[in-house]
Amino acid sequence: MQVNLTVNGRPHSLLVEPRTHLADMLRETLNLTGTHLGCEQGVCGACTVLVDGKPQRSCITFAVDCGGAEVTTIEGFDADPTMTALREAFSAHHALQCGFCTPGMLVTARDVVLRLGETTEARLREELAGNLCRCTGYVGIVDAVTAVAAGRQPQAQQAVVATAAREAAPLLQAAEREATPTLMPAGGAMLEERVALAAAPEAAWAALADLRRVATCLPGAQLDSIEGERVAGRVGVALGPIKASFAGTGSVTLDEASRTGKLIGRGRDGASSAEGEVGWQVLPGAGGGSTLVVQLSWRLTGPLAQFGRAALVRDLVRRLAQQFAANLDAMVAGQAAPPARPLGLFALLWGLLKARLLGR
Amino acid sequence: MDGMDQHGPAVAGDGIGARLRRKEDARLLAGRGQYVSDIRIAGMRDVAFLRSPVAHARILSRRKPEGAEVFFLDDLAGVKPIITRSAIPGYKLSEWPVMAADRVRYVGEVVAMCLADSRAAAEDLCEQVEVEYEELTPITSCAAGRAPGAPLLHEHWGDNLFLQTSFDSGIAPVIESAPVKVELELSCARQTMHPMEGKGVVAWWDHRAGQLVVHSSTQVPHVIRAGLAEVLGIPQAMLRVAPPDIGGGFGYKCQLQPEEIGVAWLALTRKAAFRWVEDRREHLVAGANARQHHYKLTAYADTRGRLLGLDAEVSVDTGAYSVWPFTAVLEAAQAGGNLPGPYDFRAYRCKVFSVATNKPPFAPYRGVARPGVCFAIELTIDAIARAVGREAADVRAENLVPGAAMPYVNVTNKHYDSGDYPASLATVREMIGLDAFRAGPKRDAKGRYLGIGFATYTEQSAHGTKVFATWGLPLVPGHDQAHVKLTPDGALEVKAGIPTIGQGLETTLAQVAHEMLGVPIGDIRVTLGDTATTPFSTGAYASRGMVMAGGAVARAAEVVAGRVKAIAAHLLQAEAKDVVFRDGRIHAGAASVSYADIGTAWYIRPEQLPEGVDTGGLEATEGYKPETDNGVFSFASHAAKVAVDAETGHVEILDYCIAEDCGRMVNPMIVEGQTYGGAAQGVGSALFEESPYDEAGQPLASTLVDYLLPGPAELPRFRIRHTETLSPHTAHGIKGVGEGGAIAPAGAIVNAINDALSPLGALLSDIPASPERVLAAVARARA
Amino acid sequence: MKAAAFDYRSAGSVAEAVALLAEGETRVLAGGQSLGPSMNLRLARPQRLVDVKRVAELRDVAADDAVCRLGAGWTHAEIEDGAMADFSQGMLAQVAHGIAYRAVRNRGTLGGSLAHADPAADWVNTVVALGGTLVVQGPSGQRRVASEDFMLGAFTTALSGDEVLVAVELPRLGAQARWGYHKLCRKTGEFAKAIGVAVLDPGSGLARVLAGAVEGKPVTLPQTAERLREGGPAAALALLPEEAEARLAHLAPNERALRVVAVRRAIEAMAEG
Repeated sequence: MQVNLTVNGRPHSLLVEPRTHLADMLRETLNLTGTHLGCEQGVCGACTVLVDGKPQRSCITFAVDCGGAEVTTIEGFDADPTMTALREAFSAHHALQCGFCTPGMLVTARDVVLRLGETTEARLREELAGNLCRCTGYVGIVDAVTAVAAGRQPQAQQAVVATAAREAAPLLQAAEREATPTLMPAGGAMLEERVALAAAPEAAWAALADLRRVATCLPGAQLDSIEGERVAGRVGVALGPIKASFAGTGSVTLDEASRTGKLIGRGRDGASSAEGEVGWQVLPGAGGGSTLVVQLSWRLTGPLAQFGRAALVRDLVRRLAQQFAANLDAMVAGQAAPPARPLGLFALLWGLLKARLLGR
Repeated sequence: MDGMDQHGPAVAGDGIGARLRRKEDARLLAGRGQYVSDIRIAGMRDVAFLRSPVAHARILSRRKPEGAEVFFLDDLAGVKPIITRSAIPGYKLSEWPVMAADRVRYVGEVVAMCLADSRAAAEDLCEQVEVEYEELTPITSCAAGRAPGAPLLHEHWGDNLFLQTSFDSGIAPVIESAPVKVELELSCARQTMHPMEGKGVVAWWDHRAGQLVVHSSTQVPHVIRAGLAEVLGIPQAMLRVAPPDIGGGFGYKCQLQPEEIGVAWLALTRKAAFRWVEDRREHLVAGANARQHHYKLTAYADTRGRLLGLDAEVSVDTGAYSVWPFTAVLEAAQAGGNLPGPYDFRAYRCKVFSVATNKPPFAPYRGVARPGVCFAIELTIDAIARAVGREAADVRAENLVPGAAMPYVNVTNKHYDSGDYPASLATVREMIGLDAFRAGPKRDAKGRYLGIGFATYTEQSAHGTKVFATWGLPLVPGHDQAHVKLTPDGALEVKAGIPTIGQGLETTLAQVAHEMLGVPIGDIRVTLGDTATTPFSTGAYASRGMVMAGGAVARAAEVVAGRVKAIAAHLLQAEAKDVVFRDGRIHAGAASVSYADIGTAWYIRPEQLPEGVDTGGLEATEGYKPETDNGVFSFASHAAKVAVDAETGHVEILDYCIAEDCGRMVNPMIVEGQTYGGAAQGVGSALFEESPYDEAGQPLASTLVDYLLPGPAELPRFRIRHTETLSPHTAHGIKGVGEGGAIAPAGAIVNAINDALSPLGALLSDIPASPERVLAAVARARA
Repeated sequence: MKAAAFDYRSAGSVAEAVALLAEGETRVLAGGQSLGPSMNLRLARPQRLVDVKRVAELRDVAADDAVCRLGAGWTHAEIEDGAMADFSQGMLAQVAHGIAYRAVRNRGTLGGSLAHADPAADWVNTVVALGGTLVVQGPSGQRRVASEDFMLGAFTTALSGDEVLVAVELPRLGAQARWGYHKLCRKTGEFAKAIGVAVLDPGSGLARVLAGAVEGKPVTLPQTAERLREGGPAAALALLPEEAEARLAHLAPNERALRVVAVRRAIEAMAEG
């Protein structure tokens, strides 16, 4: 689609795909290759440019989202006195080696110098933290920016917008919650949920023997076929911006004696795959009722697995387990399972990786 | 030896020793540098690689989307796998296919190459390729790889060891008699090197030259030319490797890459232009290839803490294949050979295992093995000091090779050429204020625990031919070469095969040429790396550039200088011996001529030339390697002062001091930059950087949010003091400096953390010292 | 990596955005500072984005004596810089300053961060700590949701697919109010490992204590808050471990201990500030 914007003072009307980020448009369409791509994850800062005068990440800004914007890249500062002073100081203080981070570093440094004026070294280091340099240890960079900022005043405070009158309405109070979540971590990639059922163990187990119905209690799951122990189906995924459909197969085993059931499934979506195991067991409970124990464990492969913030998945799987247990409870009690929000095991796994990405 | 403070006076002028601004800065500051991804060639198309999502599997089937330009290994007719031979007995060969066809051995291994008009479209294609894997049990640690009955990565080996070596100088008597015995088990995390620019290659066919042109972001262009020609099966003359600006190397760009081969093959066979640029996710997943060592150490000492002997077992988590040309065992060879470090002891036994694992192939990262061995020996020294109840800095000083013992041949036959290691330690001890600290409080106002730690190392740099030959490399470096030419208008062209990767060689080689020939620095143009225009060099690695290429430039400039003087003497009616270079002109007594006058005489007005003028003219190509080529030993001591929050596990570096000696400094500003940058990477190793794997061999860090690189707010203001102990073996007494800064920080910082936590009795033994590890150590001590 | 293909629409009003969302397979794009990376990694693959950056209604500021209302479209940097009147005794500006990096703050928005619902995000924890109310607009008009009911879990909110977060309502803190905000990060700008927040406004009687950056929704500590109001910081600190033990029972002990440290330091910072 078409985008009209100004780059380094020159108006452009360009055709780009919506998915093209600003950095690629600058580099590939306008040949302004001074803007570098270091990570495309919004972390390293090499792609920092000015959009309407403010430093922004051009790798996580879509070009189509810059209609009407004024963009300034490293090539657009040749007449800028602050940038000229910074360039001079960067060379004098050996603030660059390979030079790859330098354009983004300069754009950030110029903003810091203009916005804050002379400041402390600690504040300066904090302000530069969004631009990674792998060569210099930042010693020369900090010295150079300090030298240019010396004696400068901070930018004048911008105008404060007017405050309108608000139609008085009190803030809402949240309902008081139970203090202790029922779910306890069972160690590793495994969670356990326990639900008290009114039905006696025999009755509860009998109700759980219908696999097709059990499967419908797994949020987002759809069972296509059952042949003996083999089941085939898919899991619809919708979590935040992520939607996908994992097709997979699994096996179900039921053990009457211990009133234990187990579904082991494996699904794929693109390069990622997930193996999950759902186990359930009916135990005698208080007052003639029973306790339903649901255990979930999982293993991920591919892009989905390759993140470090693994604790987040526990929250996601916990909510799945709770919903699954609640649905089983309802089923045993003779009610239809509530229409599940499309929140599948694999959705939860998707959530893990989404979680990895700059949650801001 | 003379000391000078940070930013102290440098040598006047623009030659060797001058604190000269860099010639490469102007274009880089303007955003007009040219990196691989900046190259534009008409019709160039983009390549994306499909990579294995699993660590270890048989490939059951592969299917391309219909009509799409997707390539499997079978399509690359005539392309050979990467097989890195070694002269070391017992070394086992791995066969690394350019793309996996029937077996994958690590997450990120290339399976298919997809071609489209944009990178985004090429990635779309990757998603449409169907590959069916049958998973095999992965080997995800050295212990698993060495365990009896472990599944095999390369079945015909019979085990999972690229190589096992052992060395024993005769430790048995020490084991019998030593009164103090200290045992440690230590580990270093797997790391990813993270030059800010990843790998990348643009390849095209030059119809006019009849050449395949490969613009690769490589530290070793001439070497890559040899390797690429071999796997592609073409003569080297048909191949030009021309690296553009390189956004950092650190060792990552030292080897022949499967992607490089694939893209070059496309250009060769299709006679067109193709581009692939590694993205950060690829770097993190397929490039996690460094630093992972495991140590079991037993040290023997006397009751004063004098180290008598060291018994070591080192395992290197080497990954799935052997890289070319540095092999899978360079790391292990360096680890076993360098573990004794700067210490004076004679009883040493060491077993080293290079274990094949389902991870990316190990590559030589800045410092190669020495950051690990320095960490290991420095923690050992502190452990001995604890065992004998003495100040670690004292014990360390008493164990270092004393200056009076130089030159010193150590227990592993390293020839330490010069230097006063205890004096270096004393310098940082004074800079960091150890004695005042010991007299003061052990906790700060916030309740954090305070500590100081030290590490001293000696770094073999510019390893010579003999050294590399003992490491069995398939391509042993010899002389580095350089070409120097005076132009008709009196400027100087310097050409060398070593590329510029941020280390400032365009400036420092010009300084060397200026030193020898006197041409004004602004009139010297340095061209590096392009195999079509520069003489042979094995490249920029192993802290060798300034010694080797610098030596070659000095030699070539010296030859040209002699010829310039001969012509100048004739023009000035003087004796050549009376001709001197000064202030940008050529003088004999009161008279002088310009370099342009000399150029004019040779090229334009040859009638002005003397009889019998050297027909070599105003240009020369010369090679250099030190006559004694055991490598030259730079050295340094680092001291860290830390505050440890025992509630959160957070470590803050309060002060960091470095006493550094790399022989003659060609440009002190650049020496400092190299040292600061190396130290910053060392801090990364010590506190932040880690590429963890789960038990299935899945890498758990695929973004820079998972893999933490230290930023300006996490790093201290490094303080540095230089000494210059000239190497007796090299031109101008220069030693290497590129890697050194990265070697000592983990040892110094973890020693400081352990010093800080000593009131709690907590000890760290693994790096990075993440908050989790610090808290676990505190919890262990409290349990 | 490059994002998978998608369609892009820019909305001029909330109503227009809601109408586009109601057509299905559409996701709101605010600052895109979380969505962008996940799209570049092809983890998020929306079919269509509706950009609300140019919607003027999302930049309203309104207040009465007790409550201020901030449009969802304000960027973190604008809040950091004080582009609107300060209703929080400086709390919002300081929290904003601690979000990621300036270049991210220049584009990322208050509403985008809340709708993204990362448990480690600063606004998620701040708005719950203040007991705010979120204003949400869908096809049938606006509704208000208590902040504690808004986030259902990690990356999951009470927003339905055709709703847009329009504004955040927060209590106006009086001149006597004090607050403490402490987050544990390994690195400047990175995800918090733990967040502690304490707010005490003697004028309005507001007292809130929160333990955040847990794996799911933030956890409030009402008994500790009550002690804070009645007995001050020392009393609150005395009760904190016990209430944390109960309310953070789902966390491993070492993870729980980190939250206690963060909350304790927030209360201490409040007492000192």
